[in-house]
Amino acid sequence: MLRCDAATGVPSSLGRLEEFAVLHAVHAAGVAVPEPLFACADPAVVGKPFFVMRRVAGSAAGRPITLDPALEAARPALAGRLGRELARLQRVRPPRADLTFLPPYGGPAAAIAELRACLDRYPNPRPVLEWALHWAETHLPEPLPPVLAHRDFRTGNYLVDGGRLTAILDWEFAGWGDPDEDIGWFCCKGWRFGRLDREAGGIADRAHFYRGYESESGRRLDPARIHFWEVYANIRWAVIAMQQSDRFLIGGARNLSTAITGRRATECELELLMLLDPVNAAAYA
Amino acid sequence: MRDLPTSLDLLALARELLLDELAPLLPPERQRDAHLVATAMAIAMREEEAGEAWQEDIGRLLHGLYPSAARRPETLLRAFAADLRNGAFETSPSLERAARAILWRLTIGKLREANPQFLIANGFSEVNDKRAVAVGSEREQ
Repeated sequence: MLRCDAATGVPSSLGRLEEFAVLHAVHAAGVAVPEPLFACADPAVVGKPFFVMRRVAGSAAGRPITLDPALEAARPALAGRLGRELARLQRVRPPRADLTFLPPYGGPAAAIAELRACLDRYPNPRPVLEWALHWAETHLPEPLPPVLAHRDFRTGNYLVDGGRLTAILDWEFAGWGDPDEDIGWFCCKGWRFGRLDREAGGIADRAHFYRGYESESGRRLDPARIHFWEVYANIRWAVIAMQQSDRFLIGGARNLSTAITGRRATECELELLMLLDPVNAAAYA
Repeated sequence: MRDLPTSLDLLALARELLLDELAPLLPPERQRDAHLVATAMAIAMREEEAGEAWQEDIGRLLHGLYPSAARRPETLLRAFAADLRNGAFETSPSLERAARAILWRLTIGKLREANPQFLIANGFSEVNDKRAVAVGSEREQ
């Protein structure tokens, strides 16, 4: 499989050569990923830098993974396996001579400040996001030692073949981060693909995913920290959705799929209201 | 002045044609594109049908929070967002309730146009206007 840069990208994504280095590091750590084979920086070869990884069997399509009745019995074990894989990838920790291009992690406060800076670039006000950011700023968890975070660890970004995990994909957002960041992202409602009741990626209860993670990492998860990172995940997903529509609004990309994604920011805002104002959620439902 | 059928009717017919007759002719890898086009058309139709009423309601609620400010809704919304950023409503329970009512109604109003199915999937009925208005009004007091 060959991966090269898209014509227009999301600002925070890694270049392909950097993604190759991350893939190399997590493959060496024993994480289930496609084996990275070689990278090429010379744009004369295919027009832009690229890398090649070994092809892995399976499908990443979200809805079949969450909805296919044939996978029903396999889903709890799949969630547990994903928890264990996540714990394994978090064994990659700074400092790393091969990953010096990853910026240092400033903790939850810096992560929130980064989202606020993104929001400040938009001319139209987003009151729900401002409110949620204020909540996050006033409910910061204690920083934990940073680990490698995938930053898009979710259903839709891993391959399943016959109900079994075969590879975790799409490492372009990886960076140093909080150990709970990927857990909040994985459980974020935006990635449940038609099974909102299964809070671990639309495939199982959180308990299956958490148990897998805890057994591999030896770290007990704290629901209050996960709640914070789930709020963060929804704010971040809203900002990314807005950045996707920017590919059209600013970048001029004539692509309906990315242009329409901006509308999904409001789905995150509803979820933020449900997470942070559950009493009124019942009143409006 | 405009001729009939209305643009809404034409859009509805075009969407039916796309989904019922054209999409089945497309290869599997283009099916998602056809549904994206249908989604864009549906959003345009719902926005046209909804008109400005719910936004005017939000404007009135905002004006309740900022009675002495200029009446332009965009200006009020910007002031509201800035105050939320600073936690300005947290010092008064009644103001906080009024602010949250606006957040809920703004979000539900947008989703009714962008993705009403998402509201339903999250347990929100499509016909909760009365309840929303009642809760919103109560919080303005």
